[in-house]
Amino acid sequence: MKTNLLRNKNLLLEIGRRWALIFLFAEIVFFGLSAKGFFSIRVFQMVLFFGTTVFLLGTAELFVIITGGIDLSVGYLMGFSSIVSTKIIFALTESGMGDGISLLLGIVLTLLIGLIPGLVSGLMVAKLKVPPFIATFAMLGISHGVSELLIKEGAAKNLPHLANAIGNGYVFYWSSGVGFSMFNRPQVARGVFVLELIPNIVVIAFAAIGILAFLLKRTVFGQHTYAIGGNVDSAVRSGINVDRHLVKIYMLSSFLAAISGIIYMLMYVTGKADAGASSLLDSIAAVVIGGASLSGGKGTVWRTILGGVIIAILETGMRLMGIPTFDKYIMVGIILISAVLIDQLFPDRTYTDKEES
Amino acid sequence: MGSSRADTIRGNRAFSVIAHHWAAFFLLIFIVIFSFTGKGFFRITNFQNVIHLGVIAVLMACAETFVIITGGIDLSVGFVMGFSSVTAGKIIQVMFAAGEGTPPAAAIITAVAAVLVLSLIPGLISGLLIARYQVPPFIATLGMWGITNGIALKISEGFPVAMLPDVLTKIGNGYVFYFRKGTGISLFGLPEGVGNESIREFTRLIPNSFLFLGIIVLILWHLLRNTTFGQHTYAVGGNEDAAIRSGIDVKRHIVKIYVLSSFIAGLAGIFNVFQTGIGNFTPFGAMYELFAVAAVVIGGASLLGGKGSIIGSFVGVLLIAFLENGLLISGVEPFYRFIAVGLLLIIAVVIDQLFPDFL
Repeated sequence: MKTNLLRNKNLLLEIGRRWALIFLFAEIVFFGLSAKGFFSIRVFQMVLFFGTTVFLLGTAELFVIITGGIDLSVGYLMGFSSIVSTKIIFALTESGMGDGISLLLGIVLTLLIGLIPGLVSGLMVAKLKVPPFIATFAMLGISHGVSELLIKEGAAKNLPHLANAIGNGYVFYWSSGVGFSMFNRPQVARGVFVLELIPNIVVIAFAAIGILAFLLKRTVFGQHTYAIGGNVDSAVRSGINVDRHLVKIYMLSSFLAAISGIIYMLMYVTGKADAGASSLLDSIAAVVIGGASLSGGKGTVWRTILGGVIIAILETGMRLMGIPTFDKYIMVGIILISAVLIDQLFPDRTYTDKEES
Repeated sequence: MGSSRADTIRGNRAFSVIAHHWAAFFLLIFIVIFSFTGKGFFRITNFQNVIHLGVIAVLMACAETFVIITGGIDLSVGFVMGFSSVTAGKIIQVMFAAGEGTPPAAAIITAVAAVLVLSLIPGLISGLLIARYQVPPFIATLGMWGITNGIALKISEGFPVAMLPDVLTKIGNGYVFYFRKGTGISLFGLPEGVGNESIREFTRLIPNSFLFLGIIVLILWHLLRNTTFGQHTYAVGGNEDAAIRSGIDVKRHIVKIYVLSSFIAGLAGIFNVFQTGIGNFTPFGAMYELFAVAAVVIGGASLLGGKGSIIGSFVGVLLIAFLENGLLISGVEPFYRFIAVGLLLIIAVVIDQLFPDFL
């Protein structure tokens, strides 16, 4: 009798811990029933396409949150990088370089510049012991100000057409008669159906996210990240150079923000200072829905992506149903708070072990 | 800090006094510098403007002060303000438009009363989540950030709530004293028979907003400094266990703190309607909550709790406000304000660590 009860309790716990998956499923069923045309390859790709920002910024936030910190600056660093990349690419094409080369060079330089804000806030957090909230808010202000100064005379226009082709292109195209083609939209008459598969930027984003998932799960770097978040003292005692590691984490976070800024530039072929201003809530919500704790030591990349997908589907589904995006903020706020409450109802096994002993 | 503590105290006493009040010293230095660089900076009208435009920031910072002293954070204040502002605007708009007979005063009073009550709700919810259900303050109030913002946008349908009675801005942007040579002093408005076109001939002193701000800040200052409520606030933030052991109902107190914070944000929203004459939702880029946290930290509070004061936060807001105004008047690009606030924040924390409290 008692074992039966225990088994039931364990089963409930197991289900409860996977509430995010169940919620995702329920969400898909709901929108499938109520939003017209929800079940289609186009909508599925739209979710991933518009979700790249929240996936990338969520992953950035995840690394910082696992160490017990927070990074408020990711949204504005994204805007900053989008502007920096347009400026560099514009300058390079003006000086007579080819489109491809200037685009590539612009992206590489932006990624390098994207490391600097993280380096500064990392040093502040690690060496000067500035609370992460303050250090990254200071960085938010600084990057916002610099972005606005950079686009004082208006955002750079006339970027190479190639940027748009990459940002809004797909890996595979198929149309009857022409057959499959890669990266190039087949030249067909207007009105002829072309099947578009896998947006380029989704590939870019998931390549980056895949590497980071590997980094967090399988490498010493990842182990140290969890160790610092779990217990700083024991991390120090076990010989981890915590300060150095924290600097790396904040650099990684701002590097990811730079990638999402570049993706923004590719998608919209322009830079915008507040491109990621509203994504603070989304990115932190994705991490928390994915089971991470703000006190650190917990969280995985794939569960964060799961959280991101939940938000992205919510947004796309509501858009399909014609519900104004205002409701999205309300929903995400409610889901964020519920995530914490549900996680407390179904604690991890390690946690209960500690409580019982 | 390297040598013994006693040495440091003796040697650097004067310096540490400056360090502990660095924000006030910075404020003085800024005012002196901008008086030289900015034409028209050192004028009563300009100072009045700075504070008049800073009323909302001061209120936000006061709200955040209470929360930060308990070791929490309230990210929702900015959007609670927007929520209150559009709600008040909407109520006035509907009542004003509904019946010809409804006097503006009735509509305004109803709206103010309703919003003051409604503004308690977000704080009550986040307070309960934090105190009873152990949701981290950051998450609870970030959730409320999204919810109140969404509701504000829904009520206003994405546009400011306009077509409100003119009385609002007359009160919100009016002055206590109007003075002109020959005409003499009149209170709360131009003297009878003087048209609005000659308003520039009058010296206007003490905006009505000062009275409003002064009364609220004074009450909050008294509440934090001289009452049991204030003592408990510091106790909860300093050491929660000790606070529990000394018999304070910590959970209840924390709920009260978030309700208070949200109430003050509600007041700011109401003031916003009087100041602008429309109900405004809060744009994402405004970041009231973050600037409020910045002001509180510059004012000497610690995010770990147990430290902070209303006066300090007030000085923090003034420092940011005068810096922005001074830069603007001196012809510096307005975007530098973000950079300047960022740098000030870093200075604040670094100075705080170089000169830890001796007492």
